[in-house]
Amino acid sequence: MRAQFRSRIRLVLAFVFFVALLILVRLYFIQIVYGQEYSRKADRQYASSGGGLFDRGALYFTRKDGTLISAATLSTGFLVAINPQILVNPEAAYAALQTVVPDFMSREAFLAAAEKKGQVYIEVAHRLSDADGQTLTAKNIPGVQVFRERWRQYPGGTLAAQSVGIVSYGSGDTLAGRTGLEKFYEGTLERSGNSLYKNFFAELFSNVSNLVVAAKDAREGDIVMTIEPEVQTRLQEDLIKVTQKYSSKESGGIIMDPATGAIIAIANYPSYDANELQNVDPSVLGNPLVEHMHEFGSIMKPLTMTAGLDAGVITPTTTYNDTGCITVNTARICNWDLKARGVIEVRQIIEQSLNVGAAWVATELGQDTFRDYFTKLFGTKTGIDLPHEGRALLGNLMKPQQIGYDTAAYGQGIAVTPVQMVRALGAIANGGMMVTPHLVSAVRLNSGITRSVEWSQPTSVFSATAAHDTSVMMTAVVDEKLQNGAAKIPTMSVAAKTGTAQLTNGQGGYYTDRFFHSFVGFFPSYNPRFIILLYTNDPQGVTYASDTLSPSFLDLVHFLIDYYAVPPDRGIPAQTDSASTTPV
Amino acid sequence: MHNAHPILPFSFLTLCYGIVGVLVVTYIGLIAVVMSSAVLTVEFSQSVKNDVAAVAVLERQYLTIVAHITNTNYTALGYAKPLKKEFVRAESVTALR
Repeated sequence: MRAQFRSRIRLVLAFVFFVALLILVRLYFIQIVYGQEYSRKADRQYASSGGGLFDRGALYFTRKDGTLISAATLSTGFLVAINPQILVNPEAAYAALQTVVPDFMSREAFLAAAEKKGQVYIEVAHRLSDADGQTLTAKNIPGVQVFRERWRQYPGGTLAAQSVGIVSYGSGDTLAGRTGLEKFYEGTLERSGNSLYKNFFAELFSNVSNLVVAAKDAREGDIVMTIEPEVQTRLQEDLIKVTQKYSSKESGGIIMDPATGAIIAIANYPSYDANELQNVDPSVLGNPLVEHMHEFGSIMKPLTMTAGLDAGVITPTTTYNDTGCITVNTARICNWDLKARGVIEVRQIIEQSLNVGAAWVATELGQDTFRDYFTKLFGTKTGIDLPHEGRALLGNLMKPQQIGYDTAAYGQGIAVTPVQMVRALGAIANGGMMVTPHLVSAVRLNSGITRSVEWSQPTSVFSATAAHDTSVMMTAVVDEKLQNGAAKIPTMSVAAKTGTAQLTNGQGGYYTDRFFHSFVGFFPSYNPRFIILLYTNDPQGVTYASDTLSPSFLDLVHFLIDYYAVPPDRGIPAQTDSASTTPV
Repeated sequence: MHNAHPILPFSFLTLCYGIVGVLVVTYIGLIAVVMSSAVLTVEFSQSVKNDVAAVAVLERQYLTIVAHITNTNYTALGYAKPLKKEFVRAESVTALR
């Protein structure tokens, strides 16, 4: 009796285990072996399904008050596909589609697609609105399928387009970031799998660890940029005006916080609308501000001056004899106006932009010291969070000819990227400390945690005293020289320097009538909130940067003062007087 | 001879059937819960994505307006720049200072 009972129990247990085994095997085949196939099948059967859709993290601008505004996000809608094997009346189907989506496709193209009887799936319309998609679904046209669709959307259009970057298929069949931050932060923005299809059994078979620790939740998220949308808009508008007014080949600009390296605006013109890539010239898809090198001209002089002051070979009151022109290694170096100044203080090198004086400082520094300073400033990449950063061309500083050092002292013969230039000049604004320029301040992880992005510690390249002394000289440029002193803001100290470099002719020489204009400035001079770098390449009918870029620079300075309510740093009585006025 | 009365008022086989029955019902219930949860998750996720897209439309409008304001030539519209600005020391807005 007992034996019979045991055998029955064993039979029942064996049956239970057998059924369980069958279920497990079946689940394994359904979810692991044929999982993708079933997933695709489900997508095609269920029009409003959220699965299998393109998904990607967002990029955000940060307004001055901390509000996040989407720079790159996702839009949802519908796509329409036909199955030529089922579509029996293409004419009627086309007419029905036309009533909902006029001009979605030419009649000939639609009928040609419907003739491809060997295929079962041909997409004929994209990015339909929700209302249109629902209407088409309700029509239930045989052979016409309506699917949910999601795509990348850039609400700003052209706004910081070259820095935000684009998403495209590239050479493969995977949508991924190809340029800009979209590429640099691909690991954070990409979505490795659709979590809606995640289920216990599949995870159990494929990756047990993900059930315990969601590793991708600690990696995937949204990117918070330092770019301020209204400042970015203003910068872009100013660059367009300059480029169009002087028919320049291109213009660019960067506005950065010199203390942290946070880039508030960065732009180049011509650019593109990231939502309309069909007819975009591929050459503008990159970011010239980190990829292209230029000889910047006289905005290099403040760096030469600060190096001389820091090394102790000169002081602000040191004098030298400016002869107007000098000959070095058989090459002739002259001031912009070819005029001699006689014995003058070195501060005049900055205030009057004297090439002979800059060359004299370079000679005083000596080749090794000069090379050390410029290698510290430009010898390495900045580490900015954008792809394809270029390296500075400092070859002339590796040769023994003094002419290479003398010309480098005023920004010719060496080429650097705009980002390298603003980082180096930012050291003068930041008490001699050089920071890492960057566009991202934080990552909002899917887990809900916002993780601040840590950037490398500032490195010291100049003493604070040397940086301050140069700032004084640059402030005098605005107060006394720029627009003959009319640019001076009585309640705000502004330091600046213009640069006009001759363009290379590609044959080892320079054009005498084609120029690269640059402009750098920061304010308040002795505790700067912003550093601004502008340039315009090959402007027509104008020689000096003070003519092309001064209006844009001053417009940005006044805009930033108003927009951020930067408090005056001078011209306000220190005591209890309640008000002060200043002309506009 | 003692009669061997079982402790339970039903046979062990019946107990097994009962347990199997409960397990089957529980399993079916779990499947139903998982399916319902999946459907709700899909709908919720899609709803969130739709809201994100709607916000993106508003953000696009905002950025377009910012660009329009920046591009506006106020002088051409008849506005004039102020002749001077007056800087006033910030006054305390609370009674605590």
